[in-house]
Amino acid sequence: MKLLATTAFALALASSAQADTTITYALWGSPAEGAVWTKIATAFEVLHPDIKVNVEVADWDSYWEKLKVQVAGGTPPDVFAMDAPLFADWQSRNVLLDLKPYIDKDPAILDGVYPITLKAYNTGTGIFGLPRDFQTIVLYYNKDMFDAAGLAYPTDAWTYDDLRATAKKLTLDKNGDGTTDQWGFWDGGYDMEPFWGALVWAYGGDVVDPAAGKTLIASPEATAAFQLFDDMWLTDKSLPTEQQLAQFGYDGFLSGVSAMGMSGHWSVPEYSQVTFHWDVAPLPLGPKGRATSVNSAGFVVAKDSKNPDAAWEFVKYAFSDAGQTELAKIGLAIPVRKSVAESPAYLDQATKIDHSLFVKALDYAHLKPVFKGYEEWSSAVGDALNTVWSGENSLQDGLAAAVADGDLALAKNK
Amino acid sequence: MLAFLLPTLLGLILGTFGSIFATIGISLTDWDLLTPAIPAGISNYTDLPADRLFMKSLVNTLAFSALYVPLTIVVSLAVAMGMNRKLWGIGAFRVAYFLPTVSSPTAVGLLWTWIYAEDHGTLNAIITAMGGNPVSWLGPKMALYSVVAVNVWGAIGGGMIIFLAGLQAIPRDYYEVAKLDGATAWQRLRYVTLPALAPSIFFQAVLTTINAFQAFDYIYILTRIGNGNSTMPTLVFSIYRTGFRFFRMGDAAAQAVVLTAIIFVMTAVYFHLQKRWGEPA
Repeated sequence: MKLLATTAFALALASSAQADTTITYALWGSPAEGAVWTKIATAFEVLHPDIKVNVEVADWDSYWEKLKVQVAGGTPPDVFAMDAPLFADWQSRNVLLDLKPYIDKDPAILDGVYPITLKAYNTGTGIFGLPRDFQTIVLYYNKDMFDAAGLAYPTDAWTYDDLRATAKKLTLDKNGDGTTDQWGFWDGGYDMEPFWGALVWAYGGDVVDPAAGKTLIASPEATAAFQLFDDMWLTDKSLPTEQQLAQFGYDGFLSGVSAMGMSGHWSVPEYSQVTFHWDVAPLPLGPKGRATSVNSAGFVVAKDSKNPDAAWEFVKYAFSDAGQTELAKIGLAIPVRKSVAESPAYLDQATKIDHSLFVKALDYAHLKPVFKGYEEWSSAVGDALNTVWSGENSLQDGLAAAVADGDLALAKNK
Repeated sequence: MLAFLLPTLLGLILGTFGSIFATIGISLTDWDLLTPAIPAGISNYTDLPADRLFMKSLVNTLAFSALYVPLTIVVSLAVAMGMNRKLWGIGAFRVAYFLPTVSSPTAVGLLWTWIYAEDHGTLNAIITAMGGNPVSWLGPKMALYSVVAVNVWGAIGGGMIIFLAGLQAIPRDYYEVAKLDGATAWQRLRYVTLPALAPSIFFQAVLTTINAFQAFDYIYILTRIGNGNSTMPTLVFSIYRTGFRFFRMGDAAAQAVVLTAIIFVMTAVYFHLQKRWGEPA
């Protein structure tokens, strides 16, 4: 007994003496996500008593502002979350650690990871991050509104013309006061995710060229895709305008005024709070088949990290089956490991929808582009497109302006 | 003596002048915050006319200021003249007009989004009740005027205080003499009140112009769209977006210098006008 106590004391002493390495993991998200990450960090600390992990969570806007100041000031978080489209903005500025030497020592960790999620962080000269989780876009629909209108639910045989026709039928003035109070669909029309990027791909067009020097959204194929969007929004008025939407918050589906909307898995926890019944379906078929967009969030390690080895150990753990299983429970995203994405941890979540639909979407998914200056390009294109949806510009003029402004943004970031 | 002034002087030299020179310095470089700055000469300035996002924000800010500055001065002067009398409960009126000045623009801005809302907004409810057609207050055609109205409303209180102080400093005798001489109400305003208020008007003009070019909070709250953008980007919004979201600190600094230069020139013009017109004829 005495011996045991002494051993325990010695062990405690040893572990406390060893817990001399502290690393910080910063991410954007809600306090609830921060709590899950603290749990993952605690599980990691049990396996690695010599490393302590501080989890710092902030909302999206403050996260990026704070991160820029911290990295510029030479005191970055050791590990931080990265949104794949913004990855090139950071990697090209030489502030991220190349993880390839670590991965080469342990190549098996990449086994069973969806390959498309690895693509964003591999520059060819190195691997500057690992995916943490990913998002594909699906169609969400309000079953109560479909039932009330006596319409069949969306199927995987749906085309974009079916979407348009159904959205029009679901756009109603229910109280007869002369203004629409239920819309068939909703979208912000700004960023390519969730809607118009996938639409352009399904019509055989593309968004930017592979070298990210040219904006391609005014090609004949892309114009045809935008024409459908234009018809739905401005001709059929099946979508609330920006001003109408602002009355209900920014998510028309969540606020129960739009029968359909497109979004990623990130909406599931929020949508499970609503009182109406809803389900998900694959994105409709375009003239060139089905398409969706895939985007990942990842881990990167700061080049200026004082403890890169400890940082890597944490990334490796969070990237492992154990870390990914815990992460799947947040319900916000899809695990990057096949073994976890096909396990009950992901498939049997509290919200009873077909979660495998999001994983199957990988078969026809395009990677949301990753290039330096993505945010500036996206703002330039989004501002121009917005003039179409507000009625200031014709579709042709708006697309031409989007290409001109988008190309200018791309040139500035070369 | 100097020792007592030192904290303030240091703050002024390091804080104010230091940041002005630093901004001018940064504007002459290409700097993305994360990698060392590269000298860029005046290219950040010469590139500005081709920057459509910046030009759009400049046009928006100029149009906004052209309406906001004269309206704010005229309306707050009119309100101050209305308040400049001995009346039971006048204090309550003064508080009512001053309230927006001390309220949080974010909270008040959100209330205005309710008033302006297209289908369920207060304003459109009144218009449709009277048989009119609903107006898209924050849509592309009306947004500028709607936004100016909110900003003027928010600025009346501050302007009223300045003008009220100026009005109360005008001796009553002037008006009595003018009345004896047979001056009409308009003539009393034109030849007594306005000349006596000239210093207040110029002071208020400078202040309002500075506020107009730096306007951000109400405008952003009323015109924001998803993704943290705005249908009516202003200069201040453009500076923030260029620097902190697009990694282009040099360009953002050049925009800030242009903004400062505009305010500086406008202020110089006002001082020149005050010298010419402010002296008693």
